[in-house]
Amino acid sequence: MSEIDWRSVWSMTLDHPLFSVALTLIAFQLALALYRRSGWLVLQPVMVGMLLVVGTLYLCDIDYASYQADASMIAVLVGPATVALAVPLYRHLRRIQQLFWPIVITLVSGGIIGVVLTLLIARALGADLTVLMSLSPKAATMPIAMLVAEQLGGLASLAAVFVMLTGVIGTALGPLLLGWAGVNHPAARGLSYGINAHAIGTARALEEGDECGAFAALGMSLLGILIALFLPLALG
Amino acid sequence: MILKGLTWLVVLQLLGSVINLSVLPALPGPIIGMVLLFVLLLLRRGIPEPLEKTAALLLQYLPLLLIVPAAGIMTSGDALLSELPAIAAGLVLSLVVTVPFCGWLMQVLIKRADRHEEDQA
Repeated sequence: MSEIDWRSVWSMTLDHPLFSVALTLIAFQLALALYRRSGWLVLQPVMVGMLLVVGTLYLCDIDYASYQADASMIAVLVGPATVALAVPLYRHLRRIQQLFWPIVITLVSGGIIGVVLTLLIARALGADLTVLMSLSPKAATMPIAMLVAEQLGGLASLAAVFVMLTGVIGTALGPLLLGWAGVNHPAARGLSYGINAHAIGTARALEEGDECGAFAALGMSLLGILIALFLPLALG
Repeated sequence: MILKGLTWLVVLQLLGSVINLSVLPALPGPIIGMVLLFVLLLLRRGIPEPLEKTAALLLQYLPLLLIVPAAGIMTSGDALLSELPAIAAGLVLSLVVTVPFCGWLMQVLIKRADRHEEDQA
């Protein structure tokens, strides 16, 4: 019996299409475990999982294009998951009754001010068009922001990073800023968390209470659909 | 159960993508699919159980699914690093304005709505 050539076994493993799938599954579960054990908002599973994948690809000298092709059997579900966002949106929308106008006015004005301010500041400091177009949908939930960024000529991956940063920074600064502004109504605090820090802010809002969490989820869903529908038409 | 819900989502995404390609190039296919599903739910006045289960499952694992496109940062990391000051300033300063603004505006509008209700009572 001839001796096994470990080198070629290793390269066969790296070249196999399932390597990318296994890598993504393992990276996600490690990231999720780390997030749950630490309880730190900064350690978002997408961010940590992405860093683990990128680090491994660098170490194994695999380029992104071949990883993306092999892991497409995971990524193909992003589309149906985006369609599925209509389910929480519908569920939350049923909850609005008498506060319909306050919610709509706050959402639209907050959403517009957020997009315009971000673009003006980043542009004044010299960010180029690709970065600006990836920044503009940052307040939306991640799958929507990625699609809209690509639609506008930005990059989905950059948009993903900006969405994470917005969520983490908004949630970290939120309690302080809302305190300064004298905002103590749970619905008002929740809506602001949802509009400005999407899912990460919603997690924080739920810690403040049920009403706060419900309005955060509502703000996140509604702002996502506003950005998805109107940003491509406004900037496109 | 899950398969039935998934079929709905895939068919709606397909429909959305065809609409995107044929008449509405400004909106991405999955987003048109999401709007179609939302309209269907409004017409049905409820969420069918298979759809509710599949949606819950997919959305629970959304971070896993998004790792693949997010890892594309490998190819655009330079753009991110070279423009980091502009990006960071844009993100942080706009949040410093919008977080208190949204909370304040909503609180003012809620109080006004409450007063209006009391006047009517």
